[in-house]
Amino acid sequence: MSTRASSEMPGLGQAAAVVVGIQLLGAAFLYLILKAEGGLEVVGLLALLAAGFYLLEKRPQITDFVMASFSRTPVVALVTAVVVVVLFPFAVGNNTYVLHLLIVAQLYAVLALALNFQLGSANIPNFATGASYGIGAYVSALLAINFGLSFWLTLPAAAIAATLFGFLIGIPSMRTRDTYLALVTIAFGVVVQQLLNNFDWTGGPNGLVGIPAPSLFGHSFASPLVVFGWKLPSQANFYYLSALLVVVAIVTAHRLHSSRIGLAWNALRADEIAARAQGINVAWFKVLAFAVDAFLAAFAGTIYAFYVSYISPDNFTFLVSVTIMTMVIVGGMDNIFGVIVGAFLLTILPEKLRAFSDYRLLFFGIVIIGFLMIRPQGLFPQRIRSYGESR
Amino acid sequence: MNALLEVNDATMRFGGLVALNAVSFSIGRGEVLAVIGPNGAGKSTLFNVVTGVYRPTAGHVRFDGVDITGHPSHEVVARGIGRTFQTSRLFSDLSVLDNVIIGMHTRTKTGVLGALFLPGASRREMAACVEKAEVLLKASSGDLFEQRHRPAGTLAQADRRRLEIARALASEPKLLLLDEPSVGMDEVETDALIADISRLRTERPELSVILIEHDMRVVEAFPDHVMCVDYGSRIAEGDFAKVKSDPRVQEAYLGKAAVHA
Repeated sequence: MSTRASSEMPGLGQAAAVVVGIQLLGAAFLYLILKAEGGLEVVGLLALLAAGFYLLEKRPQITDFVMASFSRTPVVALVTAVVVVVLFPFAVGNNTYVLHLLIVAQLYAVLALALNFQLGSANIPNFATGASYGIGAYVSALLAINFGLSFWLTLPAAAIAATLFGFLIGIPSMRTRDTYLALVTIAFGVVVQQLLNNFDWTGGPNGLVGIPAPSLFGHSFASPLVVFGWKLPSQANFYYLSALLVVVAIVTAHRLHSSRIGLAWNALRADEIAARAQGINVAWFKVLAFAVDAFLAAFAGTIYAFYVSYISPDNFTFLVSVTIMTMVIVGGMDNIFGVIVGAFLLTILPEKLRAFSDYRLLFFGIVIIGFLMIRPQGLFPQRIRSYGESR
Repeated sequence: MNALLEVNDATMRFGGLVALNAVSFSIGRGEVLAVIGPNGAGKSTLFNVVTGVYRPTAGHVRFDGVDITGHPSHEVVARGIGRTFQTSRLFSDLSVLDNVIIGMHTRTKTGVLGALFLPGASRREMAACVEKAEVLLKASSGDLFEQRHRPAGTLAQADRRRLEIARALASEPKLLLLDEPSVGMDEVETDALIADISRLRTERPELSVILIEHDMRVVEAFPDHVMCVDYGSRIAEGDFAKVKSDPRVQEAYLGKAAVHA
């Protein structure tokens, strides 16, 4: 343990206070920006956020201190997070629009975490995440409509189908890299969307209608959720479901990142030739990254299909893949928390900027560029692994 | 005694260019072979043929009793050939410790499903790797061990080379290939390098080392088995004194006119 680090080690009580405070602050900020109506309010909140990141950039000790607090009191951190996520819909109340935004943001967070295995960990520019997402949605929807399969059974089926698709793109991609690899994935993404558009059995451009709502222990997800006399709109069902999926994605990402798989991906990101000389089967690990990406994306696709109950090829365009990629880059490559923040920010922001009507996209672009100027490595850059020892 | 590595008539052609021309040599367990030759003579190509980066146009490579000709690099590493690169190829954005742990890739085995569903086993495997890596780093240099949590890209030149060797040793090789380790070093650093390699030999008497070297001081320190390559062909082999006095070696280094003057 170096003297520099030990002087910054927070005390137990202090750490717990920091952990709870930071999470409540984050939740409050999310609540405010979701509720913000006028353009001025949104701009004010964005300025506040920018100031926060400016401070983090100038004073990196703050990040270290907060990180140390979190690793000091993991149980407090976890309990606070669970409480915040569970209680959030109660704070939102009957505002279904806000709940809808939260569901979409969470699904995008899963997609961004999925892509992060490739783009962040292994530096594989995959523009076909939108296609895997679409395959997940269509497979589960088709199974539910044509064969009456329940949501819970279509979930693994869709994941397996999309993983096979992941292997399928992965194999030609083994021989290419960088720009060429990006082109191969773009082609795959476009092909999938065109096929969905032209097949009869996928409903063509009209898509699939009437996907039945899932149910659990006799409770249909289409009906309002009643907890201890509190009545939450039906969207709350899907809010909790997608929150659960985010947890699965985080656990998956964390476990892979801290195993030898994550290290192997990082090695081939840094130097493919050197990675090969360490005995890493580069081709196989690239394909593996495609498969894991598709697997998680299919879960998100399934929940989306059952949530909106209507899907069409337009939901899974090339633009969706680009958006997911932007989320990873803005949030911070290979940083699980950063990627989630990126996904939330880039889902909520365009909605909130509706106040600027015609200038919405222009303003959106300016905000993204502005944040990247303050934090060029992404909002939360990757960190060096620490192996749980005090240092 | 059985040779550990045996290269028979290895030929490597790139289009019309013959980078290696029927080169044969062998090395036993615990030996050091120094490969010398002018720039572009085919020394690095030889390494790439041995480690499976290139598949030789003709000829065979046998290692530890198995024909490994044209086997992919990652299999060759698993069989026990570790290497370093001429220009340092560290994973510069990862920590020093991570670099060494990645070197253990072929000696660990957690797969995706294992990492997801048996996190305990995966964590224990990583903890064991950390322990082993720290031992390797400590043995390499105390200075390097102290910097184990820093990104490898921030290391000084001498430490970068030590880390490359530590990373190669992490794969538990039987044969270590060092590609011009002294490149860009001053005299003090070169002396330290010679000391490092000598120490390595006493610590691991079974380890064989092939050394590509330009600096004759390093070659002189390991004079038992030297091979000189020029224009892709082996032109001399023997101990350092014999190779040094070979007229063809002198010609390759100094030019025809100088030798005959």
